[in-house]
Amino acid sequence: MNAIPKPKAVVLVVEDDGIIRMGALDLVRRAGFEAIEAANADEAIKILELRRDIHLVFTDVEMPGTMDGLKLSHYIRERWPPIKLIVASGRTIIEQSQLPEGALFYAKPYDDNDIVQSILKMVA
Amino acid sequence: MPSLSQHIEAASALAIVASSHEPLLFISSDLTLIAASASFCQAFQVDPATIPGRPLSTVGNGEWDVPQLGSLLKATASGSATIEAYEFDLMRAGHPTRNLILNASRLEDGDEEHIRLLLAVTDVTVARAEAVHKDELIREKAILLQEVQHRVANSLQIIASILMQSARRVQNQEARGHLQDAHHRVISIAAVQRQLAMSSLGDVALRPYLVQLCESLGASMINDPVQLKIVATIDDSTVGATASVSLGLIVTELVINALKHAFPGHRPGAIEVNYRSDGKKWSLSVADNGVGMPTGTREVKPGLGTGIVEALTKQIGGVIEVRDARPGTIVAIVHDEVAVVGTAPMAAQ
Repeated sequence: MNAIPKPKAVVLVVEDDGIIRMGALDLVRRAGFEAIEAANADEAIKILELRRDIHLVFTDVEMPGTMDGLKLSHYIRERWPPIKLIVASGRTIIEQSQLPEGALFYAKPYDDNDIVQSILKMVA
Repeated sequence: MPSLSQHIEAASALAIVASSHEPLLFISSDLTLIAASASFCQAFQVDPATIPGRPLSTVGNGEWDVPQLGSLLKATASGSATIEAYEFDLMRAGHPTRNLILNASRLEDGDEEHIRLLLAVTDVTVARAEAVHKDELIREKAILLQEVQHRVANSLQIIASILMQSARRVQNQEARGHLQDAHHRVISIAAVQRQLAMSSLGDVALRPYLVQLCESLGASMINDPVQLKIVATIDDSTVGATASVSLGLIVTELVINALKHAFPGHRPGAIEVNYRSDGKKWSLSVADNGVGMPTGTREVKPGLGTGIVEALTKQIGGVIEVRDARPGTIVAIVHDEVAVVGTAPMAAQ
């Protein structure tokens, strides 16, 4: 065991609903990643400004605050282009064209396994 | 005072105008009023006695003195234009604006010197306001519906989230299996919600729904997609919301069952989900090419999944047929035109 363990990829979960956020953090951690949380877009941006090691943001769309998750995803793509994006929403009308390029969309309720598979593919 | 060239109007024409239920103005080609209907005087608060001989531009407080209307009426009198459904907003001090529709016709009795205009005025203010109100209600309803769908999706997400967190924590493998199954059932019902949210008629197209459902079941339950496949062949049927929930849950249960029991020890194979309908007849089947049913009739005690399939099959008027497919098993839910009541759900091989 002399290989230096590769640092875990860091996933920022942005979700205003406490229980759903707890579930999302849990699924990210169980899949072997480091998970950090934000309850809205403003919190997420503060974290992103402080930490430069975030690989992927998994965000809800409908959230209180100055930006919803859709605007947040575009903001992140502009400001931190390498960060991968997964967007989830209970509204089914979000089309791929509304998302930043390369972002993945899941309708709620998402299947945890689908999210894990996508994270694995995107941060590989 | 009438001028010397005053043309004498037929008393009958004046009487017709005066008694019109629709507000009417009888006007000469120089836009002087000859007569107005009582309905016009009442609707626009004009004293009938002041009408004859008065220029249109001075009626009321001059609110009819609108250059565009004047030129349109003159053009109509000269025969170079017609006023058809011309929209005109009448603005009077101290009164709310009225939305009017004007129609004018040129009346000619062979005497080019005495062209007359008949101007019909329809007040559509109330109808317009009602139409706007109706549009607002429809928009509000759409927003509320979207809000409800969003809340349903979020609530199902909370349930799914809790089930998966429990499943990941529980040590007992059987308990974990039950929690994961419960999660699949929630996801299956949620998939119908999603299809419903996208359809305006409240009907669900079965192919996208069941194909997506099978993909989702495969993604979460199959470890090696090269070894095991789920293929869904679904015709163009659309069904109501309630029936679609039942069909989706039946597929969920039968596919979970096949994945759990038909392919022990990493045995490779495939599961085929098939739905087709012909008139009122339809059949849904889930076939696997696995190890087949256990021999001996009462070997496995029926679980919750079997109960769900039986209850839902009854609800949608079908019968269950289980056949040995050699290899594997076919479970079909069949609905014939003549409802089969009280028949044992086991069909002969």
